[in-house]
Amino acid sequence: MKGNPVNLLVKLTRPERQRAGNPARKSYVHWFWLLPALVFIIVFLVYPVVDTFRLSFMNSDSTAYVGVDNYVHAFTNKTTQDALLNNVLWLLLFTLLAVGLGVLLAVLTGRVRYESTAKAFIFVPMAISFVAAAVIWRFVYSFRPEGFEQIGLLNAAGTNLGLPPVAWLVEQKIAYTGQLLPVPLHTNNFALVAVGVWMWTGFAMVILSAGLKGIPTEVIEAARVDGASEWQVFWRVILPILSPTIAVVATTLIIQALKTFDIVWVMTAGNYGTDVVATQMYKEMFNFRDFGLAGALAVILLLAILPIIMVNIRRFRVQESER
Amino acid sequence: MKRVEAQATPGSSGFRIALKKLASRSPLHIAVVVIALLWMTPAFGLLVSSFRPPTEVASTGWWTAFQTPFQFTLDNYDAVLSQAGMARSFLNSLIVSIPGTVIPILVASFAAFAFAWMKFRGRDVLFMFVVALLVVPIQMTLIPVLRLLADIRLVGTFPGIWLAHTAYGLPFAIFLLRNFFAVLPKELLESAYLDGASNMRVFFRLILPLSVPAIASLTIFQFLWVWNDLLVALVYLQDPSKAPMTVTINNLVSSFGTQWQLLTAAAFISMALPLVLFFALQRYFVEGITTGAVKG
Amino acid sequence: MAEVRFENVTKRFGDTIAVNNLSLEIPDKEFLVLVGPSGCGKSTALRLLSGLEELTEGNIYIGGRLVNNIPSKDRDIAMVFQSYALYPHMSVYDNMAFGLSLRKVPKAVIDRRVREAAGILGIEDLLKRKPRQLSGGQRQRVALGRAIVREPAAFLLDEPLSNLDAKLRVQTRAELSKLHQRLSTTFIYVTHDQIEAMTMASRIAVLDKGVLQQVGTPQELYDKPSNLFVAGFIGSPAMNFFEVIVAGNQDELKLDSGSFQLPVPPEKAALLVPYLGQKIILGIRPEDIHTREYLPSGIASSAVVPAKVDVTELMGNELFLYLVSGKHQFLARVDPRTRTVPGQDVELVFTMANLYAFHPESGKVISD
Repeated sequence: MKGNPVNLLVKLTRPERQRAGNPARKSYVHWFWLLPALVFIIVFLVYPVVDTFRLSFMNSDSTAYVGVDNYVHAFTNKTTQDALLNNVLWLLLFTLLAVGLGVLLAVLTGRVRYESTAKAFIFVPMAISFVAAAVIWRFVYSFRPEGFEQIGLLNAAGTNLGLPPVAWLVEQKIAYTGQLLPVPLHTNNFALVAVGVWMWTGFAMVILSAGLKGIPTEVIEAARVDGASEWQVFWRVILPILSPTIAVVATTLIIQALKTFDIVWVMTAGNYGTDVVATQMYKEMFNFRDFGLAGALAVILLLAILPIIMVNIRRFRVQESER
Repeated sequence: MKRVEAQATPGSSGFRIALKKLASRSPLHIAVVVIALLWMTPAFGLLVSSFRPPTEVASTGWWTAFQTPFQFTLDNYDAVLSQAGMARSFLNSLIVSIPGTVIPILVASFAAFAFAWMKFRGRDVLFMFVVALLVVPIQMTLIPVLRLLADIRLVGTFPGIWLAHTAYGLPFAIFLLRNFFAVLPKELLESAYLDGASNMRVFFRLILPLSVPAIASLTIFQFLWVWNDLLVALVYLQDPSKAPMTVTINNLVSSFGTQWQLLTAAAFISMALPLVLFFALQRYFVEGITTGAVKG
Repeated sequence: MAEVRFENVTKRFGDTIAVNNLSLEIPDKEFLVLVGPSGCGKSTALRLLSGLEELTEGNIYIGGRLVNNIPSKDRDIAMVFQSYALYPHMSVYDNMAFGLSLRKVPKAVIDRRVREAAGILGIEDLLKRKPRQLSGGQRQRVALGRAIVREPAAFLLDEPLSNLDAKLRVQTRAELSKLHQRLSTTFIYVTHDQIEAMTMASRIAVLDKGVLQQVGTPQELYDKPSNLFVAGFIGSPAMNFFEVIVAGNQDELKLDSGSFQLPVPPEKAALLVPYLGQKIILGIRPEDIHTREYLPSGIASSAVVPAKVDVTELMGNELFLYLVSGKHQFLARVDPRTRTVPGQDVELVFTMANLYAFHPESGKVISD
């Protein structure tokens, strides 16, 4: 029987057998179960993080230490600054839109009988790869100069309304107005964020919908009897009760926004002012072969995400203690 | 003072009320239907384009394809499968994804069992640490892991990428499975131990069979994640003959302009499997992400 | 004026009729209890009144105003739900203040009313707590407080005691009655427990399968039930029913049950003479059945029924005997000094002066 040699090994390595679920006696059997996972994690996740950290303090081919030069460079260099600002834009816009739409759709679909079909339609983009999504949206954003027939959905609709065609993926000025702002509120950034929203709103919607269903109907009815209009029921009862769920969704989305790579890489390769920290890092690593700078960028990314996780963990502990 | 008129025929007032209800709720229905359709439109556009000849794709929008003369063709799929090596890529995707799903789930379930049912010092701290690793951007691990794989000569090999995907998938898998294992009935396990079962037996004969829904969810998640991945494949699996579909499409995209029609077919083929999986197993997919995300 | 009126109200859910042509008038300040078994439509009727359900036919008036198309929030009613339905994210104070704050009532007024209500209910110390920190009984008081603060035209209560443990339930029953007297407002109360109905109501409305069976004071319903259903529902333990044939002749009427015969007292004879030779249903309350041994004085000993004891239940001050006679099973509340054991044969005396007779098909009571 398959278990026997393993059991033997396990018996040999510690004095008493600890049974799962029984009060702990000094034993090491859990290590057997944990070890494979821990090995993978240490080798592929922990060690690299530590090592990247180390590399970030070294020069481009990792032969000498350069202190915090890479970090200084990262924060003073215009390209990196722009990338950071783009990440901030992603963070705010992507999260707000996905959460907002998610809440709206969760509420709307919850009131119709064909709820699951409608939800499925909106959730589908999560199943496809970013690359496929990039191809799909390349079509939507397709641009032909003025006077030519538009083959992209957006520009076709736009020209039908009398508006000039816009090169959505390239344009840095605000669409249709021709303004260029000092901050990277570029049209093409919005175009990319839209793709992200298209993919992740389904995720937000599904989780928020489950949260919504967890609110007892009688509480909503009590609010109605108490005198609340539908609008007041939403803002003063539903949303507050939903806020822990919203926090969970928002956290996940913020982390996604900070880690964004695929959408930007496939659609614009970070050009035309759409670069984000992740794509920049990739370029430093593979094109410019500057491992020091690439490492610094990666560390910056991690440091940006860390506070969010701390908040999450703290909230998790509070919730567990309340249970 | 309004009075509801007494109806001669029972049920007819019910019909009137139903009609009134429909009218007042039609904004809702319109909103939902329009949004759902709009959401599918981009993907739908792609599907239509994939059946159009290259000249059409390059010059007119896909919506015009529904006017006569109809010019649908299967050429794109044919070309993509035979010439652009898509069939090979599909196979590669399978070769990467299947072990890349099975191994992490196996390893994670072992660890999750320990976290859920064994008491040892530092258990909760270690668990939180593992879950915290969810935030590590993969980019942070690329350089060191690449070097490591190079040192043991696994760059550009399938086993190399299997190991990588296993590690990357572990935090989420352990999180999901541990939460599920933890709420299995304690009495069931205790009576098994009283009967003399070993940990191994309990694991394979009790825990796993009882956890099928969670494992199903996780399988779908992990499979889709690996299937749709681009970055990890780009970095660790540099051999072009081993490229999965995401990489192949990425290459096609970079070769701007001329290959659009191939691109549409290629993208759609890569989407086919996930879409089928998704629609068939929607419930597990959805259940998977809501477990643990929504606190009661 | 806060009287409530149902006028031919019907509610259909698809093919099921939940409330069937209900007409009921509830004068101001009354404590009306809607009682009946599960699924009888009492909760639906309450929800129609509150506006949480839309009626299919008929009219509802609150304070003389037709409210069919008026939304819940404008009907000037307050509701206490079975599950209390407190707002989990708000403190007790905010829970109670919510309705008033929606109507832009000045803060000072809100504060006064909330504290007043909290005082009445004894929850002043809990004002800062959240619902999840409260016990079931405390939450129920908060739900009541939330309703009181609104000073509505009518209070609607949907089985508010069913989630409390038995002891708390008895205590709260008395408190609710006192509250009703103090607030002097219409209470419309739904329950499946006829004891709650009997102890608290000024009037009871009994429903079964969506149809109003009878409405009246507790005493009226107990003494003069209008049909089999009400007779069997009101009173605990329930009335015994026997299928009997009216036998004998005009001067000497008897009720033949197959295993025993009962003489019909002269005051009831006139009622039953028309049914000579026919089947009727005889109703006798358990407290109207005595053992021969401990027959109270003043009761005729003519209606003797031999039976075998099946189960005995001693409640301390009461003794219940489950008896079998032929194909009839019935329950008697006898003198607690009676000594019997299961299997023993005893002789019971029926107080025929308190008999009830019902039509076998319609269930309607046979009365003058």
